[in-house]
Amino acid sequence: MNYFSLLFFILLSSVTFAQEEYTLRGTISDLANGESVFGTTVYLKGTTIGTTTNEYGFYSITAPKGEYTLVISYLGYKEIQKQISLTQDIKLNIEVEEDLNTLDEVVITATDDSKKINIRKPQMGVTTLKASTIKLTPAVLGEVDLIKTIQLLPGVSNNGEGSAGFNVRGGAVDQNLVLLDEAIIYNTSHFFGLFSVFNNDAIKSVKLYKGDIPAKFGGRTASVLDVRQKDGNNKNLEINGGIGLISSRLSVEAPLLKKKGSFLLAGRTTYAQYFMSFTDELQNDKISFYDLNLKTNYEINENNKIYLSSYFGRDVFNISNLFNSNYGNISANLRWNHIFNDKLFSNLSLIYSKYDYQIVLDFVELDWISDITNYNIKYDFGYYASDKIKIDFGVSGISYSLNPGEITPNSETSPINPLILDKKRAFEGGAYIDAEHKITDKLTARYGLRYSAFSRLGGQAITNYANNQPVVYNQYLGIYQEGEAIGETVYSKSETIKQFGNFEPRFGLSYLLTDDSSVKGSYTRTAQYLHLLSNTASVSPLDVWTTSGTYIKPQLSNQYALGFYKKFNNNAYSFEAETYYKTTENRIDYIDGADLIGNNYIETQILNGEARAYGLELMFRKNKGRLTGWVSYTLAKSEQRSFGGNAGGPGINNGNWYNTPYDRTHDISVTGIYKFTDKWTFSANAIYQTGRPVTYPTGQFEYEGISVIIYDDRNANRLPAYHRIDVSATYKPNRKPNNRLKGEWVFSVYNLYNRRNAASITFNQNYNTGANEALRTSIFGIIPSVTYNFKF
Amino acid sequence: MKIVTNKIKIAAIIGLSIIAFSCTDVVDITVPTEASRLVIGASLDWEKGSSGNNQTIKLSLSTPFYDTTPNPVTGASVKVENATNGDVFIFEDQQDGNYTISNFVPIINNSYNLEVIYNNETYIAQETLSPVTEITKIEQSLLGGSDEEELDLTIYFDDPADETNFYYITFLEGSDLFPTRVVLSDEFFNGNEVSIFYEETEADEEDEILPGDTVDIYLYSISEEYYNFTHRLIEQSDNAANPFATIPTRLKGNCINPENPDNYAFGYFRVTETDYRLYTFEEQE
Repeated sequence: MNYFSLLFFILLSSVTFAQEEYTLRGTISDLANGESVFGTTVYLKGTTIGTTTNEYGFYSITAPKGEYTLVISYLGYKEIQKQISLTQDIKLNIEVEEDLNTLDEVVITATDDSKKINIRKPQMGVTTLKASTIKLTPAVLGEVDLIKTIQLLPGVSNNGEGSAGFNVRGGAVDQNLVLLDEAIIYNTSHFFGLFSVFNNDAIKSVKLYKGDIPAKFGGRTASVLDVRQKDGNNKNLEINGGIGLISSRLSVEAPLLKKKGSFLLAGRTTYAQYFMSFTDELQNDKISFYDLNLKTNYEINENNKIYLSSYFGRDVFNISNLFNSNYGNISANLRWNHIFNDKLFSNLSLIYSKYDYQIVLDFVELDWISDITNYNIKYDFGYYASDKIKIDFGVSGISYSLNPGEITPNSETSPINPLILDKKRAFEGGAYIDAEHKITDKLTARYGLRYSAFSRLGGQAITNYANNQPVVYNQYLGIYQEGEAIGETVYSKSETIKQFGNFEPRFGLSYLLTDDSSVKGSYTRTAQYLHLLSNTASVSPLDVWTTSGTYIKPQLSNQYALGFYKKFNNNAYSFEAETYYKTTENRIDYIDGADLIGNNYIETQILNGEARAYGLELMFRKNKGRLTGWVSYTLAKSEQRSFGGNAGGPGINNGNWYNTPYDRTHDISVTGIYKFTDKWTFSANAIYQTGRPVTYPTGQFEYEGISVIIYDDRNANRLPAYHRIDVSATYKPNRKPNNRLKGEWVFSVYNLYNRRNAASITFNQNYNTGANEALRTSIFGIIPSVTYNFKF
Repeated sequence: MKIVTNKIKIAAIIGLSIIAFSCTDVVDITVPTEASRLVIGASLDWEKGSSGNNQTIKLSLSTPFYDTTPNPVTGASVKVENATNGDVFIFEDQQDGNYTISNFVPIINNSYNLEVIYNNETYIAQETLSPVTEITKIEQSLLGGSDEEELDLTIYFDDPADETNFYYITFLEGSDLFPTRVVLSDEFFNGNEVSIFYEETEADEEDEILPGDTVDIYLYSISEEYYNFTHRLIEQSDNAANPFATIPTRLKGNCINPENPDNYAFGYFRVTETDYRLYTFEEQE
């Protein structure tokens, strides 16, 4: 840990103790419901001293003794100014009030200082979305969807409808760390990617880190999606709900124990299954999902607060009585916020999360289950050392257990023998320190270092292969094949199979060019020890996670990024340009014809390789006025290659670079929200994306009376471009001022011009004519919908 | 088409479940075309109870993806050698892409080498003839499968214990253009009685199975290499319109060109024993 002590030394040595200084600290919360507000700018007017609130609304400012005007400023809230006489340490909790007029004419008197705080922070590639913004973007079938909304941001895409997850900067779905109140969510989708697991009514805010990941997060290389649930209204009973075409929602929030605490309970369920029973074609099919969010908190005293949050969600499928499946995430997090002193904030979290699925195939008479479970302990500290230095540090430990698959016969007559794929256990430890250092009024630096250690634990046998080759190149046939197993090494539960450790430095610099523009640069190194095994065109919920170990190395990624940021007209407009170059070592890919399902020996189906991605992202936002929204454009490239290595041979695609399935050359999106009157708000978005790389035929041959397709090099072709426009209108009827029930109607049309975007194009021989043809599968055509939301 | 395979067709099934939301249509998509290559269709199958003397090997050239006319190869020389005893079998060019012989001798557990010379290039392949177990019974029913009003059938056979077996099964009903094909490894049911279910495919809905209709059933014993090849072949052709299917790749068979490896041939050289049954559907009680 010499690195850490060295870093500490550098930081502390730059702290000046010349003047008499005092600290002002407290929490910022919403006047209406008591929710803590994350990311509020708190600063002393006329100085460069200021900070932003952390995830729990906490802030701490240290400044020389004197008279100040404290300014609290948060977009969408009324600015607060308060006279402060800083002659001693002060505790000050402040409530901010939502400014319901912000969507009207621009009447903002933001001082120049507030803008600087954000554009000065060295943190790059981060976007924060409030639940209220997500709610206003048009959604398919009226289901407001966080994962679909983040795809409107530059650098974020996915495989189109019907594909789980999202891709950030040319990364794979499994390279995103998705956290719901700090718990890892392994699958973000309902209905195979048509909807997301996040119920917008239960969400407070969302932060997406695209590559420049702060040192406190670890374990994934492409991004962190940090989703925070609401704490629950601690002032009044609040009921929110909605009735849509696909699902209905209801949430209840209320204060607890003399307003010392509060809770939120939110639920959502579909009822498509009832409609399906009316149609002949689908009457034997039942598909549904539901989820439950719970959060409660209690303030023990000024310095101690505990939180409990939990999520439970499931999808249930029953297709023609042939195929029964259910899958879902469950998570829980117990947190303890403790304020040691004016400058030191801490949070201890105990987290559990699990993802599992079960499939019952009655016609084959078998049950299949698979799951991944982890327990996680985290202790994070925020030290507000001085007006120039803020340090985050902490430790974490995650214990994983993976059950890749258990097959059991489900009847006496089943011809299936039971099969249990090897269960895997692993431990991932991490320690980090991350300091933000204001070197001069214009220059701010961030120094971060994370050390991660990963142990693949025993309790299983590892297969050994002849010549240590799990995959062998067959010189004769020119293809890759499974290696020859020559026995196995048994590891007991107390033994470690394989260990890895990685230093992950993260640096950032920002330089203020003018009062409202800055440039930033960053370098981030990240390590990833878990991998999602998927060699299908779309990530499916039934893909299996695996860990690094004897045959699969950790993915290591380096990202270099540069950015330019400018705000115009008192923050009414902002412009961001970022460019990045990213390399990833040890990105595995699958040999031709790899068979992953039910395979205990994944190492026989993969080759080690590398990936690289680079791109330019532009985003122009209009933050204020009747019309708000953003335009984003991404120009990018994402490729990978795999050499034969130990297996011999030239590698996949002859060892040449080829497009990853998530390579998109152009990605443009426009999102606009227009508040027409107090009753009507309109919104629209338009999306254009280069088609995703796919493999097309280059010919055919006749074999055994059928036409066999000859395929091109891997991902050498592309689907047609993806584009669509969605619109929605929200109508808030006149209501009596005293009526507590507030309702609104949301009318929306998804895919306005009924573009048949190809989710895939497949090729086959027509069963009846024998001729070859290309088949396009498209998921959503034009979909109008209406939703009624209410609040009580 | 719902059939049992050892690798559970999860991908196909997920495909089914999103059908509720999706729609599929035929589109005009221009695809690239590569230079044509020799295709060797060499399936030497020995039906139980027959002499196995008459065999045919088909040679053709690969064609652009949308072409509908075959491209037979004539003027090639084709021979098969029994590598175990040295017997050589010369196949005769029929000038239509077929190369035939009437005195081939199949011997269980013997290895065979194929040699094809075409355009001064030599292509070779090797296979071993392994024995196949018998189909023990065939049962028909109405209730199984996805359509509970249509006739279907189930075949049974006993997998030999203490050995690794690979099977290839085809069902061809009446006037169907293509057989329903299944490959199996005994990995999950070594030594058990195995049942394979067959019903008419969804793509062929109009042609309902009625009493009196017939099905040709073949059960082949195949090599592990041929299992891998056919498994991929079937998966790729069955999984049209399924976004959760494995990404399709080029299928190289076992016919190589040792002098000029890049100029390999498509197709496969297989030598199998097969159990054949013709089943006629009866009136269901």
